[in-house]
Amino acid sequence: MRICWRMAAALLIGGAAMPAAHADGLAAGDYRIGFVTENTGPIAFAGLSYYHGAQLAAEEITASGRLGAGVKLTLADKESGSDPARAIQDMHQFIADRSILATSCCILSAVAGSLKPIVLGAGMPLVIFGATAPGLPKPPVVYSMTILPGPKDVATAQHAVEVMHPKTAAYFVSADNDAFKARMAAGQHAVEAAGVKTVGVVSVLSSDTDFTAPATQAIGYAPDMILVYTTQTPAEGIIAALRARGYAKTIVGNDVLSPATVFKKMGATVADVPFPISFSAALAATPEAKAFVAAYTKKFDAPPDIYSAQGYQVVQFIAQGLHVLSGKPTRESLGAALAQIKSVEPNVYGGEPMVDGQAETKDTVIVAWTKDGAIAPWPSGK
Amino acid sequence: MELFAEQVLNGCALGALYALFAIGFGLVFATLGILNAAHGTYASWAAIAALAATERLGLPFPLAVLAGVVAGGLLALFVDQVAFQPLRARGAGMLAALITSIAFWIILDSLAGFATGQQSLSFPQGSYPARMYHLGTMPLPAMQLLTIAAMLVATFGIHLLVRRSRFGAAMRAVGWNGAAAALGGVNPRMVVLATAFLAGATSGLAGVLAGISTQNVSFSLGEGLLLKGFAAVVVGGYDDVRGAAIAGVALGIAEVITAQYLSTSLRDGITYALLLGFLLVRPRGLFGRAGFVRA
Repeated sequence: MRICWRMAAALLIGGAAMPAAHADGLAAGDYRIGFVTENTGPIAFAGLSYYHGAQLAAEEITASGRLGAGVKLTLADKESGSDPARAIQDMHQFIADRSILATSCCILSAVAGSLKPIVLGAGMPLVIFGATAPGLPKPPVVYSMTILPGPKDVATAQHAVEVMHPKTAAYFVSADNDAFKARMAAGQHAVEAAGVKTVGVVSVLSSDTDFTAPATQAIGYAPDMILVYTTQTPAEGIIAALRARGYAKTIVGNDVLSPATVFKKMGATVADVPFPISFSAALAATPEAKAFVAAYTKKFDAPPDIYSAQGYQVVQFIAQGLHVLSGKPTRESLGAALAQIKSVEPNVYGGEPMVDGQAETKDTVIVAWTKDGAIAPWPSGK
Repeated sequence: MELFAEQVLNGCALGALYALFAIGFGLVFATLGILNAAHGTYASWAAIAALAATERLGLPFPLAVLAGVVAGGLLALFVDQVAFQPLRARGAGMLAALITSIAFWIILDSLAGFATGQQSLSFPQGSYPARMYHLGTMPLPAMQLLTIAAMLVATFGIHLLVRRSRFGAAMRAVGWNGAAAALGGVNPRMVVLATAFLAGATSGLAGVLAGISTQNVSFSLGEGLLLKGFAAVVVGGYDDVRGAAIAGVALGIAEVITAQYLSTSLRDGITYALLLGFLLVRPRGLFGRAGFVRA
């Protein structure tokens, strides 16, 4: 708490005295970001994307000299395997290492929630790259670059109802994931408000792999539309099982369907399933987004996905905070500088305002995979 | 009623995977005396090998399955010779073998993660039987029928092998007492090698079929099978493949029916309540012999 007060004071002083850009610039040297990776474990497919995005941003910023001559931005990574206990150990080590100026972590909201009190107590700036639970940011210490999917889920559900005019709907939900339960509740509320009757909710678990029985259960409700609020692997399995069992009506997905690896795995099975998206390599429109796609594809031999974009923006955000500081910044001064940021620049979304420590994007683009593996606006022709 | 029948079929197909895995797991325990925590990785690696055979070599479905089954068997053979044979030679107990198997579980799991790029992969469409048959209006997916058929063939085949053949007699003799079996003219080393291969191949078959059915080929594939396979072996009996098969199918049906009519949250609880109940009331399982105790 004492450290929080100190940071608040630094924020006030910094806010009054902070120049628009650095006056003397950062002292030459290595500026390190502690990055709690999730490159192994059950959600490593996403963890690697976040990490690759962050790696690319750090290299680009260093190479560009944006932070000043001789200033090098590097990631110090420690693996957690999405295990809260390991993530906590990693964070304690980062806090003990005075060369670490800021940290980044977490796909799982439970892990982010575990680290939040630790960084608040230590005054260590933490920028979350993937956890979706609302309420995690707490400036000037905790920030989130995760584009929260809740409002986009609601917009997608409403759009699907407007387009398909269903009378009944069934839902799949990850019963062991509070964030997805909340997302389903919001989507269900919006769909019911549009006059669509709920005929059933099928619960699955994040570790499930066999979805034949849940698909049978959902089809048994005879819904006009099925909305899927689960993590990536269950979402893939559910859609495949529904289609395999002959369900030809509308299935509405969520943002977990956006990575290219999903189409590579599922092929045309996932075609025409709408989902919201805030970033897609295929739909990159701004020069920043196009440059990001080109550089990422060149470096990793695969196009970036939404996770890569969020990892990339984490480092851009921290660099933006460092950019206004002079000499040898401290964790406190960096936290205060980050709190002043109203819009992250550069960004790959065509606009990324920061509201109370939370990154946002302006528009919800509702898309679907085509049978050829492209991402196109849904429904096709619009 | 049709929904119930469909879910029972779903449960049978899921349970058939548990049963196939449990047969291999039980063989290792009954014959080699090893509670092998690494057994799940044989299923994962078999699925990965079958996928590679399909995608890289372009092998047709039967040959890709065979490649996965052989890979599962060879991996089991390798682990047995590298991890367990030295312990066996030194007369180390079951605890040492269990700890060693946990180490191999972690190592092989990590390597499987790297092999799949930490992704969940799937067999390409068209590379496996995806036809949907119908009984009246009830759908009968080809892969489910194939999985159940594979389980039945494996169960009867291995049961006959263990109970009606000279090799089976040698397996049972080695399982009971290797030294005494050697005095009786049995070559324990050959029996151990063959049993390890057979167990790995059977679990590998479970892994390949699970990878196709669930469209999930990843390092985590074997973990789910391991826990459920262990439960099936305990419920069915360590030393009888029929028990493991029946228990596996029963667990699959119980899981599916619980999720359909009670709650998904209770699904695994029912499985492990059954496990606990059998351990308390009938620790030898459905078909296990009363006097069967591993040395």
